[in-house]
Amino acid sequence: MQRKSTKLVASIATGLMLVASGLVVNQAAAASKTTITYFNFTSVPDHVADVKKMVAAFEKKNPGIKVNVLGAAYADYFTKLKTRVVANQAPDVFDLNYENFITYAQAGTLLDLNAVSKKDKSFKKSDYYGKAYDVFSLAGKQFGLPASFSTTVLAYNADLFKSAGVALPNSSWDWSDEEAASAQLKAKLPAGTFADFQPVQFWEFYKVLGAAGGKFLSADKKKALFNKQPGVNALNWLIGKTAKGYMPTKAQLGTGDESVLFKAGKLAMVHTGIWQFDAFKNVPFSWDIVVDPGGVTPGNHFFANALVVSSKTKKAAAAFKWAKFMTSDPTAVKIRVDAAWELPATSAKAPLAVYLAKRPPANRAAVFEALKNPIVPPVIRQQTELQDTVNKWLEKAQNGTISVSEALNSAATEVNALLANE
Amino acid sequence: MTKRNSTAVAALFVAPSFIPIASFFILPMFGAFYVSFHNWDLLSPAKWVGIKNFTMLLHDRTFYHSLKNTLIFIAGYLPLVYILGLGAALLLNRKFKGNSFFRAIYFLPTVTSWVVVALLWKWILNPQGGLVNSALHTIGITGPGWWTSKSWAMVSVILPSAWKDLGLVMLILLAGLQSIPNDLKEAAALDGATRFQIFRRITMPLLTPATFFVLVVSLINNFQVFDQIYLMTSGGPEGATEVIVQQIYKNSFDYGRMGYASAMSLVLFIIIMTFTLIQIRLQKRWVHYA
Amino acid sequence: MPKSFSRIGIYLGGLVMAFPFLWMASSSLKNDVEAFATPPTLWPHKPTTINYHHAFALADFPRLFLNSLIVSVAATLLQVFTSGLAGYAFARIQFRGKNILFLMYLATMMVPLQVIVVPLFLEMRALNLIDSYWALILPSIATAFGVFLIRQAMLTIPKELEEAAVLDGANHWKIFRHVAVPLCGPSFATLGILSFLATWNSFLWPLIAIYSPEKMTLPLGLANLHGEHNADWPLIMAGTTLAVIPVTIVYFILQKQITQSFLTTGIK
Repeated sequence: MQRKSTKLVASIATGLMLVASGLVVNQAAAASKTTITYFNFTSVPDHVADVKKMVAAFEKKNPGIKVNVLGAAYADYFTKLKTRVVANQAPDVFDLNYENFITYAQAGTLLDLNAVSKKDKSFKKSDYYGKAYDVFSLAGKQFGLPASFSTTVLAYNADLFKSAGVALPNSSWDWSDEEAASAQLKAKLPAGTFADFQPVQFWEFYKVLGAAGGKFLSADKKKALFNKQPGVNALNWLIGKTAKGYMPTKAQLGTGDESVLFKAGKLAMVHTGIWQFDAFKNVPFSWDIVVDPGGVTPGNHFFANALVVSSKTKKAAAAFKWAKFMTSDPTAVKIRVDAAWELPATSAKAPLAVYLAKRPPANRAAVFEALKNPIVPPVIRQQTELQDTVNKWLEKAQNGTISVSEALNSAATEVNALLANE
Repeated sequence: MTKRNSTAVAALFVAPSFIPIASFFILPMFGAFYVSFHNWDLLSPAKWVGIKNFTMLLHDRTFYHSLKNTLIFIAGYLPLVYILGLGAALLLNRKFKGNSFFRAIYFLPTVTSWVVVALLWKWILNPQGGLVNSALHTIGITGPGWWTSKSWAMVSVILPSAWKDLGLVMLILLAGLQSIPNDLKEAAALDGATRFQIFRRITMPLLTPATFFVLVVSLINNFQVFDQIYLMTSGGPEGATEVIVQQIYKNSFDYGRMGYASAMSLVLFIIIMTFTLIQIRLQKRWVHYA
Repeated sequence: MPKSFSRIGIYLGGLVMAFPFLWMASSSLKNDVEAFATPPTLWPHKPTTINYHHAFALADFPRLFLNSLIVSVAATLLQVFTSGLAGYAFARIQFRGKNILFLMYLATMMVPLQVIVVPLFLEMRALNLIDSYWALILPSIATAFGVFLIRQAMLTIPKELEEAAVLDGANHWKIFRHVAVPLCGPSFATLGILSFLATWNSFLWPLIAIYSPEKMTLPLGLANLHGEHNADWPLIMAGTTLAVIPVTIVYFILQKQITQSFLTTGIK
């Protein structure tokens, strides 16, 4: 019995080995074409087919270039990217969001696109949405072409508002209006249904800080300024909601998150990203959006993703062609808008009209209104560490472990130490 | 035991495992230790900084905090998983119809990925309406915040860990139990020994080699606990469940401080090696080999 | 303990242990809204296979399965083989430097993978093996865990058996083949299961070592079902349910070997 099973096992192993080596050998080599690698996270998992369409359109227009698309989920993307860079096998073109761009730019990983774009007669900077293009430049060099951008808005459950007899949100709202509505909603809504939700973390905090008239860092990025009075006001605004019972605590939120609560019809207002529109498509109640209420002044998120080119690429011209195509070519932009795959970062009006016409939500004009007062994230080289540090102290303030001013001062001390090492 | 040509023969037996382990584990380990004397973000070349990472580590309060949390995890998890695994192994060691079916069932959690297990246990321990708190509610107790509470978060991680791994411990102890000759136990029973006496005097002592294995390997692995923390609490709330490998993970790729992460790993290695050496020393006192 | 108590205990325990598997499978048949319904439903009101369709559309499951199978089977066979040999040497042969060598083996378990992967990756790059099955199989040829497990098992072999074989003129290889290995069958089967499981679920190293989608293993394919902002849990449950099936099959096959009981001490 021992012998038979050993033989069986050995033959299976040999068989599999043969299959494996056969699969390795069976790599067709397309010799005459230039092949570039495009590594991305933005299409994973829902828009992989859309990238394929874009690639097909590009390869048709550029028969000498083949684009090899590789993807990874966002959570794993940067680990993979960094190991490729360290092994000197960086992909020719890859995705970067604004928060990570400075880290890679300062490390010399990215190609200055100005050198390549100057040689390209068909390239026009004005094809791009100005602000999105500008954020990817550093010290006079252009390191990325913006592919898409997004923002956050206040989404609300119109049915819940009506059932509580509270007036619907509108674009002239500010924090006091939001608070007044929350108080009214809390009085009328059943237990387990909440009035409002705004995450207490780095992303919301710096935006709310801006809306409170404050600055996160000094202009030279050497000193933290978020612990001054506007910061205190901003943090108090954020953590006050749970204290007053308008917003569920972490324990009350449980295993779901705020979008789950909203979709279940248990949340009247939620500060959320425009990327959630698709997820909220089929909810059984009527909902709409409004621009995020301002504090002392309006202020809204501005997020952007770009395509960047590796500084070590040997195929700069081809890489640039693909990056330019995917980010601004009308064919690619149409594929993006039709697939409801974020907002293209182009200045052309026509595709945006398609976006505006989609439903729900109806009030998509609010998205563009938000872009009038963009607050760009504070970004330094040690970005993840900055975010984790701030989040650590925000959490303590949220749980009531320490006071708001103590939390902000401690965070500022640690952030200043980080900035000193930049 | 024969001594003739021992070293040569031993070399032949050991080489098939030593060569790959040396090439693909030991060599990279030395590489990692070398990196600990540098600052390295992986994107630009590594910069030599001497022992700076180690002096920083000496003053790093979060590192000590993670060390403490890791020890707490081990102290809670290890006895629990061993007792549960032993109980399962003893119960399922007997011959009864369907016992191999049950052995498979008890092993299922081990086979299920942490992504699923973490989600499931967050749901079971949901402070609001989860299985446990609902049950407590019916007898008039307000359940704790579990993984949202600073005092209960570690327990909320220990429970699913023990539950997921008990099948593994069971498997190893079963293999050990199977090698205990039945006629030894039968002879003792014929001599009038009770079940408990047989267990204490025959089963447990003969199980000590497998127990030793479970303890040593568990300790080594538990010092490096990570997946379940990452998935269930991300080290929260407020760092209550932050463990060492989480620090290493954050520093290595996220913060671009591969040198610092490697320094932490070197210190961790020394800690684990020390504990393991102590266990090996002590084994003379309680482990019975044939 | 009376038989009935322990029987009830086993059944109850079985339910508790089987629960995640059942919950995972039932969640994979729920639609998006029902997955997070409170109170949670045990069995979906409207079972749907849409998540499985979706999973197959998003990930090339047959390919992922094949890749994982190739790597896991190869790794398991290699690990059982190399662990058996080394375990025997550490348990039954006296040689100089044995203890230090064994500590070196153990040491390899004491450093987290996160700091090893980059040096290992650079090593594989130098060998030009990135993005190949070899990159996954070579580091899996032997593990300290396996060597340790078999060593412990072989330490329990009674000296008398070995001495009897020596008297019969057996050398180490013969003792290994005809005495040690048969006696430690259950441990080899255990190692087989655990090696297969570990390789099947291995994630960080394959994530880094594999570039091409055609060579991805199952955990990598499953990871790509997660989006940046949202997680489609029923979809992920469908993927993980599929991933668990081969391991369960291997377990059922091998665990029969573990139940093979050793009835006599074999002393002639």
